Amino acid sequence: MFRMGKNDHDAIRAVLGGDKDAYGELVVRHSASLFRVAFRMTGNEADADDVVQDAFLRGYRKLESFESRATFSTWIYRIAVRCALDKIESRKGMQAAGRVAEDNDPEAQEVQVMDEGAGPERLLLSGELGALRQSAMQALTATEQTAFVLRHMEDRTTEEIGAALGIQPNAAKQAVYRAVHKLRQRLAPLRVNA
Amino acid sequence: MRQADVMNDLQHLSEEDMVLLAYGEGEDGARRHAADCASCAAALDALRGDLSQVERVDPPLRDEAYGVQVWQTIAGSLPKYRPAHQPVRRRWLSPVWLRGLSYAAACAVLAGGAFYAGRMWEQARKQPVTAVNQQPQAKPAHQKQPIVVVVLGDHLDRSERLLVELKHADADSTDLATPLRDEARTLLAANRICRHDTDGNEDPALATALDHLDQLLSEMANQPGGLNGAAIARLQNEMSTDGLLFEVRVLRTRIGSGIPEQPAGGGSQQGGTI
Repeated sequence: MFRMGKNDHDAIRAVLGGDKDAYGELVVRHSASLFRVAFRMTGNEADADDVVQDAFLRGYRKLESFESRATFSTWIYRIAVRCALDKIESRKGMQAAGRVAEDNDPEAQEVQVMDEGAGPERLLLSGELGALRQSAMQALTATEQTAFVLRHMEDRTTEEIGAALGIQPNAAKQAVYRAVHKLRQRLAPLRVNA
Repeated sequence: MRQADVMNDLQHLSEEDMVLLAYGEGEDGARRHAADCASCAAALDALRGDLSQVERVDPPLRDEAYGVQVWQTIAGSLPKYRPAHQPVRRRWLSPVWLRGLSYAAACAVLAGGAFYAGRMWEQARKQPVTAVNQQPQAKPAHQKQPIVVVVLGDHLDRSERLLVELKHADADSTDLATPLRDEARTLLAANRICRHDTDGNEDPALATALDHLDQLLSEMANQPGGLNGAAIARLQNEMSTDGLLFEVRVLRTRIGSGIPEQPAGGGSQQGGTI
């Protein structure tokens, strides 16, 4: 089905020369790594699959702008991060539309967690710790969430995060810091009872 | 110890610095401070403990078959790239480009035709006006050159006075002979300049008058033996000073008032008396 064996640059030249199937080699070669970061960012398989497909579609359309001195894996990785960011933003937008209001005050958010009746001990006992973490992650903005995932789970440096998000390294550093700060406040109940 | 190091010892790490240190980044000074400062080390440990609560997500494994599946999903919606070696010239020959070029050419032809028609129409309008006025294309000198008009008017004025003196000069008297001759010589040079300037302006009346004036002034200036009474009498008779005086007056009046040249005889009522 695929004439495997070409390196990424050869495959790209073949695609731009009219051999569409050569792009299939790139898709097969890099789909797993894209799925990994997409899943970590979106948190579910369905969205991650969408992100992977969308990333390869965007990559194909922009393939003429690919510079030969770059590596295709890094280039398509950044595209996938942008696609995942778009997915998270759209999801947050839909969630926000469904809510009456959302309090962004950290103290109020902490109270909100407590008011849900899900105290730390109960959370631990009922196995809802993961739900609290997920809730804490969802309290982040899309940029903060993406920056934190790339930093905490993908071990990307500040410069790589900035390049993936299309922002300056200092802005990426600030995004990671804000994410960590918010997560610590959200997860404070766990620390008290640890 | 350097001053920067002293400052690092004195200033505790910010939370932002600690986040960088927790992930293996951060500056050497911050790292040294965290190693030396007990409170910052404790805070850094607390931060690392909190971060460890956020477990790394382990995605479901995906093998090569997943990539094949992704490719089969998207392959149908990908257009084929045009080969890079395709001549660019063919793009210019595409129907879109040809249509645009044909529109541009049509607009250019229309604009050029309108310009040419306008020029022709303008010239056609000028010709009847010229014919009605029976004027040559060049205007008379007194209409297009104000300085020449002033000089010519002055010359005609002086010539008129000379002709009046010549007309009324007593043939038996020699008192006026020398002044008339001197004035004639002065006017002769000026007359030739005026005659030269009027060449080509197609004002026949002016040219004729200046020619006649030139002959008379030459006779007066170059009369053998000087301008005596006999010579004055002969000039009065032979050179038709009356007619010349009339011509000069008509011209001076016309130039002074800016009246264009009239057909022959048009000014016969003027200057009847001197």
